[in-house]
Amino acid sequence: MPDRRPAGATDDAYPCSSGHAPAGHLYAQAVFLCIDGAMDSSVPMVMSAAASHELNPLMRSVASGNRGALAELYRRTSGKLFGICLRLLGSEAEAEDVLQEVYLIVWHKADRFDPGKASPITWLAVLARNKAIDRLRIRRLPTDPIDSASEIGDGGPSALDVLETRQEQQRLANCLDELEEQQRSMIRSAFLDGATYPELAEREGVPLGTMKSWIRRGLLRLRGCLQQ
Amino acid sequence: MTGAMTPDDRSTLAAEYALGLLDGDEAVRARALAASDPRFGDQVASWSGSLAPLLDEISPVAPPDRVLAAIEQRLGDRPALPDNVHQLRRRVNLWRGFSVGASALAASLALVLAMRPEPIERPPVATPAPAPAPMVAMMEAEDSAAKLVATWDSGARRLVVAAAAGIAPVAGHSHELWVIPADGTPRSLGILPGAQPLHLRVEGPIAQQVGEGVTLALSVEPTGGSPTGLPTGQVIAAGKLQRT
Repeated sequence: MPDRRPAGATDDAYPCSSGHAPAGHLYAQAVFLCIDGAMDSSVPMVMSAAASHELNPLMRSVASGNRGALAELYRRTSGKLFGICLRLLGSEAEAEDVLQEVYLIVWHKADRFDPGKASPITWLAVLARNKAIDRLRIRRLPTDPIDSASEIGDGGPSALDVLETRQEQQRLANCLDELEEQQRSMIRSAFLDGATYPELAEREGVPLGTMKSWIRRGLLRLRGCLQQ
Repeated sequence: MTGAMTPDDRSTLAAEYALGLLDGDEAVRARALAASDPRFGDQVASWSGSLAPLLDEISPVAPPDRVLAAIEQRLGDRPALPDNVHQLRRRVNLWRGFSVGASALAASLALVLAMRPEPIERPPVATPAPAPAPMVAMMEAEDSAAKLVATWDSGARRLVVAAAAGIAPVAGHSHELWVIPADGTPRSLGILPGAQPLHLRVEGPIAQQVGEGVTLALSVEPTGGSPTGLPTGQVIAAGKLQRT
């Protein structure tokens, strides 16, 4: 099997381990770049600080219209972004579509990236996540107007702006740990699976209002902890 | 809607929006707030950054080689900048420059007339009121390739919306145009006819609400338009009408 890691990826940037496919992925034949300690939130960012730092000049080159820089940025980051699209969409074809769209947006909007606010990999990861959510919502739209209106969703968050503070990883893990187990699991599910309030309420078998006040309490508590 | 919100409400709404928990009308309103209120936008950005480490739980997967090839094909030979919208922006600035120049010319003519020793004979017919300058909205969204230009002629109540880039057809869906007046409730203006510009004569009470500062938005809807009368799908472009 050829090594399909992106050119330029170092073991430091993509720490590979046993290579088992994470549960929930739909295609066994996909080549997994590496497993970065999935489900262990204490593992640091997928990219080392040094590797992520190297992306800053690449982002600047992309913003100035350098096609080669876009290809290099793609080689270094597409594995991470494709993984995110697949997780949310569960369909390889749709994940490929969204991945294309994400890099086209990067090409046109790289000048909006502010290295003072977020690292390139975080900005890209959130962009891929938000675009995959948009696709999920479009998929849920009925193609026939007679379909139940209750299934209609709206696009997810759209902003390209991401504001990252240092040591978010550990702080978020600690603060999530302070929530009730169900609040934690709902908030994770919204972010990682794209679940909306109505979907979470249906899944848990509770009224919509109950689900909202439940999660809102969790979010206020999370904010209080994150701001400490 | 935003006036009565406490700081906690705003922060919670920003978190709900960043998480993607909202749907329907709530999501549309949060999206409009994020686009119009920089402080709220910062709160959303902050929540996105705070929650982003959760994405580290997702393992990287190598995409097939065809994806990069498709991206490069879609880029074609087009340079990143300037694109159509930048050209249109420059054109709008030119219009602005022209109208400033026209006002200066009018002012100097007025001065010349005022200095004439003999009053000139007034024309027998009343001078028609000057036609109001058309308004323009540049419609785009940060995370979408779609770019449109809307021009509003308030005198003739005529709205023209033309796509400058990125309005790809979505199978089984239509692109619906909305006006979001001061009350924050979107009202449908019609369906975009494919790649052709949309020409509309806006009639009735809604015409009074279209004007400077009003937001125009384009959303992806089921074929034939939203079944609820409100935007239900992703808003792929939005912009405010401004005087040229």
